[in-house]
Amino acid sequence: HLQEIEIVCCILTIMAGKNRFASGIPTDDEQATGLEKIVLEASKRGTDPYSILKPQEYAGSKQDPHIVPSITNKRIVGCVCEEDNTAVVWFWLHQGEAQRCPSCGTYYKLVPHELPH
Amino acid sequence: MAHQAHAYHMVDPSPWPLTGAIAALLMTSGLAIWFHFHSTVLMTLGLILLLLTMYQWWRDIIREGTFQGHHTPPVQKGLRYGMILFITSEVFFFLGFFWAFYHSSLAPTPELGGCWPPTGITPLDPFEVPLLNTAVLLASGVTVTWAHHSIMEGERKQAIQSLTLTILLGLYFTALQATEYYEAPFTIADGVYGSTFFVATGFHGLHVIIGSTFLAVCLLRQVQYHFTSEHHFGFEAAAWYWHFVDVVWLFLYVSIYWWGS
Repeated sequence: HLQEIEIVCCILTIMAGKNRFASGIPTDDEQATGLEKIVLEASKRGTDPYSILKPQEYAGSKQDPHIVPSITNKRIVGCVCEEDNTAVVWFWLHQGEAQRCPSCGTYYKLVPHELPH
Repeated sequence: MAHQAHAYHMVDPSPWPLTGAIAALLMTSGLAIWFHFHSTVLMTLGLILLLLTMYQWWRDIIREGTFQGHHTPPVQKGLRYGMILFITSEVFFFLGFFWAFYHSSLAPTPELGGCWPPTGITPLDPFEVPLLNTAVLLASGVTVTWAHHSIMEGERKQAIQSLTLTILLGLYFTALQATEYYEAPFTIADGVYGSTFFVATGFHGLHVIIGSTFLAVCLLRQVQYHFTSEHHFGFEAAAWYWHFVDVVWLFLYVSIYWWGS
C-alpha cells in the first residue's frame, strides 16, 4: 500500500507544477485581492477605514469629546446617557464645533472618515 | 456613495438557495413515491439537482472569497461561527443515535433474551477490523494536522502529500468498513441490535465520505494555489469536520463495538 501512496503523492506533486512562490504557498501579501487586500493594507498602515475594530473610548468632555467618524458631513448619534438606559437619545451630529447630547451633555465631534475607493 | 463603509459581504442574488429547496422537495416526495409506486425518477432528479446546487453554490463562494477578496476578517469570523454551529448540530444528530443505542442496550428486554448482545447475535470482534479502522482514522487525524502546519509554514509539497495521505486513509477506512458490512453475520433487520448498529455506523460512514470529499476539494484548491499561509479557512473547516468524524468513530468504537460486545 505504501508504494502506491508514494506514487500518487508524486504524481500530484508533479501535476502541481513548479513552485510559483519561494516555498510554494503564497502569502496574503502576495495574493490577497479586493476588499480583503484593502483591509490588509489599511491595517498595516494602522488605519481602520471599514470600522472593523471596536470604537475607541473617550471621556466625552469638551477637551476629550467622543470622536464620530463620518463619510459625509453629518451622522446620526444615539446616546445611551447612562448604562442600561432604554431611552436612546437620537440627534444629528454636524460637521464643525462639537455638539452636546441634549440629555446628558457629553460632547461629540464629527471627523471626516476616508473610505478607500 | 457607490461603496460600502463596512467590511461585511452583502452577497449578490443567487438561484442556488431556490434550487436547493426544490431539490429537497423532490428528494423527499421522491422518496415517498419510491416507497408507494416503485418509481425512482423523482428522487433521482432531486439528487441530481442537489449535486448541481452544491457544486455551483460552493464554486460561487470560492469565487467570492479567493478570487474577489470578499472574505475580510469579519466575514471569515462569521464563516468560522457557521462551521462550528453546523458541527455542533451534527453532534446532536449523533447523540440521538447513541441515546437509542444506550436505551436498548442498558436494559435489554425479554424479547432480546434479557442480555446484550441479544441472543443469536454474534457481534464483530472489536480487536480485528474495527481496531484497524480506529488506527486508520487516528492516523488520518495526524496527517491532516501535518497538512495544516505545512500550509501555515508555506510548505507546498508537504501540504499536498499530507493532504493526499489523509484522503487515502479516509478511503481506506471506507473500503474496510464496506467489507465489514458485506461480511457481517447480522443485518439491519436483526432486531434493535441491527438497527442501532447499522444506523449509527452507517451515518458515520456517510460522514466519512462527506469529509473525504471536502478534503479532496481542499486538495484540488491547494494544488491550484487558492490557499495562503494565513488565509485558508476552507481547509480549516474541512479539518475540523474530519476531527469531528474521527471523534464520533471513537465513541462508536468504545460504545457499540467494544462495550456492546
